Order: sequence, then structure tokens, then C-alpha cells
Amino acid sequence: MIVSLSQPYANEKIKAQQALYNVIDPELFVNVIDLGLIYEIDFDGENSITVTMTLSTPHCPMGEAITNGVRNALEIAFPGRTININLTFEPRWNFEMLTEEGRAQLGV
Amino acid sequence: MSNINIGNAPPDKVVLPFYATGAFVFWLLCLLLMADPGSLTQHHFNPHLLAIVHMAALGWGTMIIMGAAHQLLPVICERDLFNPVLASVSWYFLTAGIIFLAYAFWNMQTGWLMISGGVLVVLSALAYFINTAFTGSVFIHYSVVRLFIFSSAFWLLFTTLIGLLLAINLRYVFFTKNHLELLKLHAHAGLAGWFLQLIAGVSSKLVPMFLLGKSDKEKLLLYAFILQNAGLLLFLFDGYFFEMPALRMLVYAVLVAAGITCWLLYLYDAFRNRVRKKADIQMKQTFLSFLGIVIAILLVPFVLYANDSRWGIGYGAFLFMGWITGLILGKTFKTLPFIVWNRHYKNLSGKAKIPLPKNLYSEALVQWQFRIFIAAMVLLAAGILMNNTIIVQVASVFWLLLATIYLFNVMKVLLHKKTLLS
Repeated sequence: MIVSLSQPYANEKIKAQQALYNVIDPELFVNVIDLGLIYEIDFDGENSITVTMTLSTPHCPMGEAITNGVRNALEIAFPGRTININLTFEPRWNFEMLTEEGRAQLGV
Repeated sequence: MSNINIGNAPPDKVVLPFYATGAFVFWLLCLLLMADPGSLTQHHFNPHLLAIVHMAALGWGTMIIMGAAHQLLPVICERDLFNPVLASVSWYFLTAGIIFLAYAFWNMQTGWLMISGGVLVVLSALAYFINTAFTGSVFIHYSVVRLFIFSSAFWLLFTTLIGLLLAINLRYVFFTKNHLELLKLHAHAGLAGWFLQLIAGVSSKLVPMFLLGKSDKEKLLLYAFILQNAGLLLFLFDGYFFEMPALRMLVYAVLVAAGITCWLLYLYDAFRNRVRKKADIQMKQTFLSFLGIVIAILLVPFVLYANDSRWGIGYGAFLFMGWITGLILGKTFKTLPFIVWNRHYKNLSGKAKIPLPKNLYSEALVQWQFRIFIAAMVLLAAGILMNNTIIVQVASVFWLLLATIYLFNVMKVLLHKKTLLS
């Protein structure tokens, strides 16, 4: 997920991205941003945040832990806002979605 | 959250008893092996070896694999487990059944005790079959993996039914065919039907998942499925209805071996195209276990043509202790810590500093487990093939040490208390 400084809520999105660096996939030991699991973060005024994200595999055994992690991290960074998780498998996650840092952490 | 179901794993109280029981039975069977190493250098139809083999096949191999399968069915079928209560029923029946059977075989008490054990194991297999069939009945995405899972559940039920009939036949003879010939069919329905097909199916999903690998050669898996089942069906049909000569047995073994080769080629392709280059110790142990099945297949001509039961026992040892045990030792710490971690920490992720699943067990002990496994397997094979009871005795000490380390590490995970890191 790339945040452009000219887009609305750019500062909030960067803050959200920073928070999500703390959410680690328990199996791969890589955070959800560098894994490329976060597709979009949308801010709706002052009230809610909608995260569109995926998992590395449908019915991933760690799926609930990862989505809970995303919700918890954003609740701490943005107290009082409602966090919505929009889970999607379109497009399906693939290796190309890893960031350079993610690749380095996986030893690619 | 959107309405996509990300798959609720069955409650951990359903799955964890399988792991605890399996680890304990493995330790116990290694203890019995040490108590009577001579059972491995006699003819294979002896009470103590029958008890040990049934403990290995049902109390250890089936127990752990069935537990893991209940956890993984939602991942493979992309929907929730049909009925977690049935999964618990499977565990109760299997545990009771193996206690009855192990005692009855060790003391060669044919009759109600052995037959009751057989009935309990059949009921366990039936409960598992129902759960598998209904969990996989809705095809969201077609996959050969799902075919493997379904066929293996069928073969488990079939194997246990034949086993029950054999237990009855030991007391009230009704088969006209030689009991030892039927025992061969029963054993291979379990090995090539239940164990091989479940392991082929699950590993074809999990190995690429763990390695972040992929293969577009799914056709290989389809060939594997067809060849393994064709070889097994022909073997069972010929063996039951005709006098099967060694040459025809060899042909059926070649068919199954070709199926195994297709499956291993698929895994190799996923391994070659993996993102995660560094394989951890659990994956190394998994790959090593495949050597066990390859060596067992290479021994088949000796089993068929050399009139000496040590080749048959060696063949069985490579399958049960080399392949199935090796695989379980590797895969346990790829599944169990995650199940327990989920129970304690899935709601705390992103909120507090928490341990990772790998912190729930001792990685150093897993390293030792790997080394001792190699030594134990080499010594066991040497002892059996040289027909030397002393070497088997030394090997059994290594196996007991291995089982003790494994049991300790499994219990460390199971008894983990929630901890927040500072």
C-alpha cells in the first residue's frame, strides 16, 4: 500500500501504516504492511476507518489473530474511531505483493 | 468486517487431546520397544509386535494425524468443520479402542476385549469419515487435495472394518483365506489408503503454504491420486479373490510408487518455486521423513522375493518410524504451538507485546529431536536388517530418549500460561 502525500487524509494514513507495522504475522514473523496484506485504508471523516485487507490464504488458521491485530493496533492509534475490516480475496495475495523489506525479512 | 468467513478453527479442547494422547502413546510404545526388542527380530506375527504396531498406527500416527486433520479441514475445504462434537467422539472412541487393543494384543487375548477394541476404533473412524464428508461436501473450489482427504477418510474406515473382521476371525474363524494374507491387505489399506493419501493431500496444501511456494503442476497430484488408488485397489482385489503371485504384487507396488513419485515431484516443484528460501528445522525433518517412504519402497522386492521376515519388518519400520513418525515429529511444532497461541493471544495481537508461537516450545529440543531421530532410525534399521537384538536394544534407548524429549516439548506447549512481554 503506497500513500501519496497529496491524497486526502495522507497524514492519518501514514499514522495508520506506522501502527500496522506492529502487527506481525505469527507464522512468517513479518508485519502485515511488508507482507502486502493491507490493500487500502479509508478514513470517513472523524468517525470511522475502513481497512481493506487480505490473508495469505483463505481460511488461514491465523486469520482471526491477524485481523484482530489490525483492529487493535488502529484502535490504539485512533481512539474513539470505529474500525471496519473489509476482508477480500480479490485480488488474491501473491508473492509480488511483498515489499522490498518483506522480501529481505523472508530471506528472498 | 465483511461477511467472508475466514474459518473458525474447531475449539482447541477438541483438537488438543489428540496431541496429548498421541505424544503419550508414542512414549509408551518406545518404552515397550525397549522392554522387548526381540519382538522386532522374530516373525512379524507375534503378540508384542502386534501390540506395538497397533499402538504406532492407531495410538500415535492416527491419533496425531486425525487431530491435525480436524484442525486443517477448514483450511483445506475453506469452510468450518461440520461438527466439532463428532471430532471429540472420534477421540474418545479411538483412545478407548487403542487401550483395549494394545492390552489384548500384548497378552494375545482374542475374544471380546480385542473385538470391543476393534468396534471402538471403527466407530471413531466412522465419526471422522462423517465429519470429513460433510465438511468437504460443498465444493467452493475444486481441488485434488480434497479428493485425497475424502479418499483417505474412506480408506481409514475400510481398514478399521477389515481389522475388526480380523479380530473376530482370530476368535471365531470364518474367513476361508489365510489370516496372514488378509493381514497384509489390512495393513496396506491403512498404509497406502489412509496414511499415504491423507499425508499426500495435507502436505500438498501445507508445504507450499509454509514455504510460500507454488506449483502449477496440479496434474501431478491428479496422477498421484489415480495411481495410488489404482495400485491399492488392484492389490486388494487380487489379494482377496485370487492367489496373488509376487510378480503381480510388484506391479501393484510399482503403480503406487509411481503415484508417490508424482506427489513428491509436485512438492519438489513447490519447493523450487518457493519465496521463503530458508527451511526451518521442522521442514527439514519433514523432508527427511520422505526418505523413509522412498527406502521402504526400495525394500519391496526384497520383501517379496527374499524368504526372510526381517525385510518385512524393516519395510514396516521405515514406514512407521521413518516416514510417519518423522513427519509427525516435524509437523507437530508447525501446528500445535499455533493452536495454543491462538487460544491465548489472538485477541491481544497488536494490543500488547506478546510471545510468538515459536516461543511456546523449546527450539533447542526440536534440534536435538532431529539429531536423535536420525541416530535412532539408522540403528533400528541396522538392528532389524542384521537381525541383531543388541543393536535394536540400543536403538530403542534412542527412541525412548527421543519420545521423552518430544513428550516434554508437547506438554510445554499444552501447559503454556498466558504471558505478556515487557
